[in-house]
Amino acid sequence: MKRSRLRSAVLTLSFVVTLLGVLSVPKVQAAQTIWNTSEPSVIRVAIRENNPSGEPDPRGRIVYVQSVPFIQYCEDVLPNEWMPSWRPEALKAGAMAVKMFAWYHHLHPVTVDGFTFDVDNTTNFQTFQYMSDQPTTDAAFNAIRNIAFAMPNGEIIELNYRAGIENDPNWQYRNAQKMAQWGTQYWAERGQTYTQILQFYYQGRSLLRIQ
Amino acid sequence: MNRFPSLRSVLYCCAAATAIALAIPVNPASSIHQRAVDRPSYGAVPAMSSAVQPVVNGGLANNSTPATPGQPGAAQQPGTPQQPGTANGTQNATANEPIGPESWGYTNRKTSKLRIRVIDGRTHAPLPGAEVVLIETEQRFTTDSNGYTPWFDAPIFRNPKYRPMVAELHGQLGVIAYKNGYRDSIHLGIRMHENIRQQATVWMYKIGPGDRRIEPVLYQEPYHHLWLIQLADKFRQRSQIGEGPERP
Repeated sequence: MKRSRLRSAVLTLSFVVTLLGVLSVPKVQAAQTIWNTSEPSVIRVAIRENNPSGEPDPRGRIVYVQSVPFIQYCEDVLPNEWMPSWRPEALKAGAMAVKMFAWYHHLHPVTVDGFTFDVDNTTNFQTFQYMSDQPTTDAAFNAIRNIAFAMPNGEIIELNYRAGIENDPNWQYRNAQKMAQWGTQYWAERGQTYTQILQFYYQGRSLLRIQ
Repeated sequence: MNRFPSLRSVLYCCAAATAIALAIPVNPASSIHQRAVDRPSYGAVPAMSSAVQPVVNGGLANNSTPATPGQPGAAQQPGTPQQPGTANGTQNATANEPIGPESWGYTNRKTSKLRIRVIDGRTHAPLPGAEVVLIETEQRFTTDSNGYTPWFDAPIFRNPKYRPMVAELHGQLGVIAYKNGYRDSIHLGIRMHENIRQQATVWMYKIGPGDRRIEPVLYQEPYHHLWLIQLADKFRQRSQIGEGPERP
């Protein structure tokens, strides 16, 4: 009698242990990192209709989706988001933010009004103007061509940025984990490199070389 | 009987007035035209600079002749420094200092390198042999086999009306592109910055058999949105909180 109780207790205990072991197995998360995804070759850009003055309207309907080479997209965004006459280090920090923002959204496409796209051409995402690249911004993008700015484990996250205010370090943007565009120029004028600028605004991220 | 004013006081006053009148420097050639010559033409384009002629033999040169289109070389090239001995060069340093709005340093003549790329708007293929005219200076260039004009010095003009409010972050220029078989393309608002090379793309559209009313195509480049944000922030009241440092 005692032996059977003991056996049942052992079986129950082993079952509970097995169950706990199964439940405690961590979920398999397919984190999208720079190691298991490659840099996009093409990005889908939704072109929104222009307002009556001829400017792309962030609230306008989507006219079509344009497939643009990823590098060209980044080069055509940077002069429309950063000022091409700014310091090279400010432009490099901007190029990195533009690239990682686009890379993240390439991995997270959206569907609106029947159009599936990665980004649009307005400030909803990043201001994009086809074939508007400039020599200075192209040089900045080429300088960070093989480098990514992601989490230390390589996870690709969205690098957000906002305009900020001129001649100011824009500390409040650092607190919000967004980069201030004017802040990049502020720090570049004071001799900071683009790595230091990125690390000032985005904490806990790493500069990684793309394989 | 004492009269007032006395004859003596009247004579003293006359003498003092004469002395003051003699002390005032007289410029026999002070006129609007002469003042225009005295003052350097900060920011004036070569086409307009023909209205300001140097003094020849003590008098004004004939400035009634308008600028000849298509001959920008006849006027002063942008960026050319004033040579000593010319009308402006003969003025002393005080006279050369900007007056009024020019003292803001906003309209000083500045140039930067620019080149224009002309492409077919449908195929995006470069268009060689297109003629590109820079409107502000009337300079003319022809595109090469890659659709590019050569690098040239282009002036940086900012709209002075915004200067007292928010200084523009870039200047603006306009070009017109011509090519046989294509509609004329007018490209306005090309952003110009100091100390860098920049380029702009002009899109041209081929004239088809169904085109009856052939008119120029306008492309207006917008202001950079960073400047638009500054302009809006400038006049925002405290009660009108927008996106900005308050809510990053």
